Amino acid sequence: MKRFSDLVWDVITSLKLTIACLLTLMVLVVACTIAQVYLGTWGAVEIFMYRWLVWLHLPGTDWSIPVLPGGALVFAVLLANLIAAQVRRLEWSWKKSGIWIAHLGLVLLITGGFVTSRAQRETQLAIEEGQTVNFVESPREMELALIDRTDPAYDDVYSIPALSLAGRDAVAIPGTPVVLRVRGYFRNCDLSPRQEGEGPSLATQGVGVTTTVVPQPPVSRDEEINRSAAFVEPLVAGQSMGTWLVSNGLGKDQAFSAGGRTYSILMRNLREYLPYAVTLKRFRHDVYQGTDIPLNFSSLVRIDNPSRGESRDVLIYMNQPLRYEGKTFYQASFGKNDTLSVLQVVQNPGWLMPYIACVLVVLGLLVQFGISFRRAMLAQVARDSAAEEAAKAAAPRKVWR
Amino acid sequence: MRRLTFLAAAGALLAGATACGRDEVAHYRVPKEAPSSEPAARPAAFAANARPSGALPPPPVPAGSSALTWTLPTGWTQEAGGSAMRYATLRAPVPGKIDVSVTVLPGDAGGELANVNRWRNQIGLPPVDAAGLQSARKPMRTQAGTLSLYDFTSDGAEKRRLVAGLALVDGNSWFVKMTGEAGAVGQARADFLRLVESLRREAVQ
Repeated sequence: MKRFSDLVWDVITSLKLTIACLLTLMVLVVACTIAQVYLGTWGAVEIFMYRWLVWLHLPGTDWSIPVLPGGALVFAVLLANLIAAQVRRLEWSWKKSGIWIAHLGLVLLITGGFVTSRAQRETQLAIEEGQTVNFVESPREMELALIDRTDPAYDDVYSIPALSLAGRDAVAIPGTPVVLRVRGYFRNCDLSPRQEGEGPSLATQGVGVTTTVVPQPPVSRDEEINRSAAFVEPLVAGQSMGTWLVSNGLGKDQAFSAGGRTYSILMRNLREYLPYAVTLKRFRHDVYQGTDIPLNFSSLVRIDNPSRGESRDVLIYMNQPLRYEGKTFYQASFGKNDTLSVLQVVQNPGWLMPYIACVLVVLGLLVQFGISFRRAMLAQVARDSAAEEAAKAAAPRKVWR
Repeated sequence: MRRLTFLAAAGALLAGATACGRDEVAHYRVPKEAPSSEPAARPAAFAANARPSGALPPPPVPAGSSALTWTLPTGWTQEAGGSAMRYATLRAPVPGKIDVSVTVLPGDAGGELANVNRWRNQIGLPPVDAAGLQSARKPMRTQAGTLSLYDFTSDGAEKRRLVAGLALVDGNSWFVKMTGEAGAVGQARADFLRLVESLRREAVQ
């Protein structure tokens, strides 16, 4: 009788597992494609591909049940299967070097997928002609920002990803005497003026006093954005500054003073500040003559990077992005009568991995083909030589008399 | 030994794949933003929620033919705004507590069902589902297009009533709402419906 570990090893190295993974991936790809109609691209990929399990919410209950393995789980199993089978079955010899290289390429391809799903950050930079911007913003993620505006020259910005507020009671702001007590968080909601007859708001300060928050289910379609909100009570050295409602659906930041410092508090799109500034010098939206059909969108920007002593102009246009300090800036959209340009900014530490993986797979197949071809050619030569020898041996000998 | 190495590597990979995330407080020291360097407004697809700009979700002020106007019934008065987010506040010449408002919000403002349930919640009624919404909706033709009209009265000794119309005009949701004591609302209802019927686009000069 086989030991349990032998059984696991047999399963993890079996070709059937590979087939099962590939079939599951086919199902996931079809389901994800259909779901994009209802959830949008981002929502469907998140639910079907980036998660370990695909969950189905049971209507009328708070329960969800897993109905499919998610893309992350399937790829993890496939990766384990690929490596284990390689280790178990393939011999370490030059004769199999092509297979090794091709498998290495596949491993790198799947690993690249993991790196992208976990580490890629997609943000946007919306900039008007003549404007200078030193940050990019996430179009979907929000942040709770506490800004110390006391210094006349600079602001200290403390950013907390809004999603991390769920289930948290308080967030201590490092390096300050401020603790933000989270008294409520809504990933998506509607805001409206409070009506007569409604009870008092949870907020005791700012516009939240006269605002009603109606929780809504989160949205994920490409054209929709969540209106996130939170009731936050700042405590400065233990003293309450009242409870404030913050939301990206609200207006300007709200401010309070304590301990000789002035703080602003707000919810907004998650920002990442850059160590350089981008200025939009000119945006162009060219059309084919006599038509409204777009010919070209381009943004002429100036990059000012004091840390490098660099100040240069760059033209970003369709399919010609700017790659700079680990980020890629693509021309994505425009507006405001062609005076506003929106650049999609992608940061993916694993962006080269699929390219290297594809090269390795092709190289591995070529090497293996070459090795097999050489072996076949040598065998053919040997067969030809043997046949020639045999023919010689069988030919009637001439006898000289 | 080979198996152990493999399992250890797989475990490490799995842990690495699940450990990513940015939940902590990030700190940036940035130059002060000049007023002119406020982030630019985005195109519609990116700006479903407006940029920070005012106190509450700022009521868009539709201009030209996208803006609606109406005819005030006799004895009624109106003032622009009146509170955050309101386009106009109207006063009906009836005794009792009553509030009449016109509000305009971008897009579908959360959808008709959500808004109707919010109204019902304001007078203490339970939410309705899509079928309930359908049966409560009364279409009303106006010069600005067809408007959905709702009329709800609460239960209990002190009855409250809400009559409200909702119309989508050029991508903006217009809400014309009258709410208050059931008696007062009932008294002003006929005039309110005449006002709603008179809704039309602003004449473009």
